[in-house]
Amino acid sequence: MAITNIKNLKEFSTTNERFEGAHLLCPGCAHSMIVRELMNATDDNLVIATNTGCLEVSTAVYPYTSWDTSWIHIGFENAASAVAGAEAMYKARKRKGTLKDPDAPVKFVAFGGDGSTYDIGFQWLSGAVERGHDFTYICLDNENYANTGGQRSSATPIGASTSTAKAGRVSYGKKEKKKDMVAIMAAHGAPYVAQLAPNKWKIMAKGFQKALETEGPCFINTVSACTTEWKFDPKDTIHLTDLATDTLMFPIYEIINGTELNILYRPKNVIPVEEYLAAQGRYKHLFKPENKHIIEKIQKDIDERWEYLQRREEAKV
Amino acid sequence: MAEKFELNEVEVWDGNYAASQALRQAQVDVVAAYPITPSTPIVENYGTYVANGYVDGEFVMVESEHAAMSACVGAAAAGGRVATATSSQGFALMVEVLYQASGMRLPIVLTVVNRALASPLNVRGDHSDMYLGRDSGWIQLDAFNAQEAYDLTLCAFKIGEDMDVRLPVMVHQDGFTTSHKAQNVKTLTDEAAYNFVGKYQPYEEMLDFSKPVTYGAQTEEDWHFEHKAKQHKALIDSRSVIDKVLNEFKELTGREYKRVESYYMDDAEVAIVALGSTVETAKYAAKKIREEEGIKAGVVSPRCFRPFPFDDIREALENTKAVIVLDRSAPMGAMGALFNEISAALYTTQNRPVISNYIYGLGGRDFSVKEAIRMFKEAKANADAGYVTTPIQQFSGVRGPKLGFFETKRGK
Amino acid sequence: MSKGVLATEKRGIRELGAEKKVGWDEVPQGVILNSFDDVLKENVAHIKPEDRNYSDFNSYTATVASWRVLKPVYNRDICIDCQNCWVWCPDTSIISRDKQMLGIDYDHCKGCGVCVEVCPTNPKSLLMFVEAEDNEAALAKWPEKKKKEK
Repeated sequence: MAITNIKNLKEFSTTNERFEGAHLLCPGCAHSMIVRELMNATDDNLVIATNTGCLEVSTAVYPYTSWDTSWIHIGFENAASAVAGAEAMYKARKRKGTLKDPDAPVKFVAFGGDGSTYDIGFQWLSGAVERGHDFTYICLDNENYANTGGQRSSATPIGASTSTAKAGRVSYGKKEKKKDMVAIMAAHGAPYVAQLAPNKWKIMAKGFQKALETEGPCFINTVSACTTEWKFDPKDTIHLTDLATDTLMFPIYEIINGTELNILYRPKNVIPVEEYLAAQGRYKHLFKPENKHIIEKIQKDIDERWEYLQRREEAKV
Repeated sequence: MAEKFELNEVEVWDGNYAASQALRQAQVDVVAAYPITPSTPIVENYGTYVANGYVDGEFVMVESEHAAMSACVGAAAAGGRVATATSSQGFALMVEVLYQASGMRLPIVLTVVNRALASPLNVRGDHSDMYLGRDSGWIQLDAFNAQEAYDLTLCAFKIGEDMDVRLPVMVHQDGFTTSHKAQNVKTLTDEAAYNFVGKYQPYEEMLDFSKPVTYGAQTEEDWHFEHKAKQHKALIDSRSVIDKVLNEFKELTGREYKRVESYYMDDAEVAIVALGSTVETAKYAAKKIREEEGIKAGVVSPRCFRPFPFDDIREALENTKAVIVLDRSAPMGAMGALFNEISAALYTTQNRPVISNYIYGLGGRDFSVKEAIRMFKEAKANADAGYVTTPIQQFSGVRGPKLGFFETKRGK
Repeated sequence: MSKGVLATEKRGIRELGAEKKVGWDEVPQGVILNSFDDVLKENVAHIKPEDRNYSDFNSYTATVASWRVLKPVYNRDICIDCQNCWVWCPDTSIISRDKQMLGIDYDHCKGCGVCVEVCPTNPKSLLMFVEAEDNEAALAKWPEKKKKEK
């Protein structure tokens, strides 16, 4: 596999883009930051499948495509199956000698939002990972069904207000905790899973390279700060992502073969989660006196999880 | 290199086994499948061929039928020969993807072993799953017996992959009545079968990196109509390729198949229209009633019912006086779907035979020669009267008070 | 129409929705879109965007300039070529070649302002101005180095 030199950002910047502008993503959307990082991390040929969602709907509206590689969208839930089928076809054609360029390296990648990954496409992803197809699945996690106007998904964190789990006079927003997809994928026996963030570009690019290089099904959850549904100014996407990673709301770590957990980023100063919550409209209601206890709960959950991650890293299990 | 399978010139196979052998001989690159009664043996047999080296393509046992068709679409877009099999609930589960596959103009072969749709749950044969996929944009052929399940599956690849077609193709067969009934099947050698189907020709494939391609774009109100109209026209135009392939098959084997099959129709006064194994029952009944009572009875079947053979059906039936259309699917508040489609075609004829509808055989309820003979007699009574003497829609073979709906307004 | 900074004759040549509305007989079969005209002679990852033969179906040929209310203006004199803006631009609109910043692709820039926020220099090497502002005039008004607040 041909990986890009990511020794430093200057080296990284010499790649030739394969994701074109004039797509329809919101100004400031982190989805395309993540997609560009992936596509620039390698110069291997890519076969990319994408679930219905913001990314798909913004990059392939006839008569335009923003993809300079082969790309397929079938439906909301089945990008993992699409790429599994393409990967199987690649294996079959390689064995039969019917590939046009049999020596050309190719990587299979699937993108899905949290809605399609955590919810409606969960079975399809689970099946593809269990069968061990050689592909990388990247979840663009903006913690809601953004494309259809911000409904709750099982990736929506506790206390967030979404259009279907709204904060109101008798509700503080979502009552359920966020599902832990990274743990679930690691439990499938995926050889490499990770949670990455686009603000830490080098860790993300390295993680992508590792996933592409690892034979078998790899899963990466990425935090994609959503200016429209999280409700912050488009220019602040990286600032929000910094808050997400430095409050440890989104810890950055990898799990290798389900047994070796490595924390990839330790903030110099861990910021209280309140600062992260205060920066977004979707958590505004938590600052009412009657909801303050939810903020405390969120902080407690973060602390406990950070403790767990550190202990597991230390224990090497 | 896949091992060759030595076959006898005539084998004793059931419809499932026949279909699975056809899939093997076509040298499919990717089969992505899921088990469901009564099509499970197709997938199991295929798995046995894989395990014993008779297949060198990939066999992906996915986690649901929706995933099966989704993987088939991804594999087809990656530029190779693709097939799968299913029935009933599995078919219903993959319906979303059927539309997506045909919209993307990807040749895929789907062998459907027809089974009733729940609720209530039923594993036996009827055509409710077949009817569910009517508008999905697939070419659809119907096999009446195991021989045809074998023959038409081979033809399906050749039809769908033709560069003037590039559409997915379904081959239907009756659950249990065909799929589990062992019959004589004349075979082709592995070589002859593969040579007939031919080598897969890629078109706009995702694995050709010198031409990156985007599949599955979105179209809004300014573009959608043009794309769907183009697809519809492609289906209508595929008739000439279907005829061409069926003709080539006849040249190779001597077995002739037509998009509309007509039996004893030359001078027929009354006719039964049906699909599936019922066609053979009706044929036998027509012969019997001609010999025993001199009623000029015939049988017509729209074997290729998508694209619907509007003009060929007209030609087959326009000189009859009375037609009875059999629908093996619960119509739920309407006339049977086949009745509706046949009626529309006959409505545009000069002669306009009278036409009535029977719902029969649901959930695997048997349909007998005796019942077919009774229907021919009823059709004769209609023909003599010049109008439908019974309710337009009736139910055959169901216990309880007689069910009949709507009287004719014509000719009484 | 904005040009410069390695614009090719195909970049940003039409507004979204302004393409010719052809009939069913002319649309591609299966709604398939080709990213490039002709066959690529080598891996596209090895071809610079300005050397590619983009097809009219590639969004590269469309422009979203009309989305902007504010636009970023780039100051070459202050820039240290750190490439922060390059890596975090969501619209592939920061043009960098051979580790050197060249400027903004105004055909594809939506004016989100992320590039300004992530620019580390003091004063910043990118600042937002109203769309109508002339770039030269903007550069002339560039602020001085900001004193660090105690």
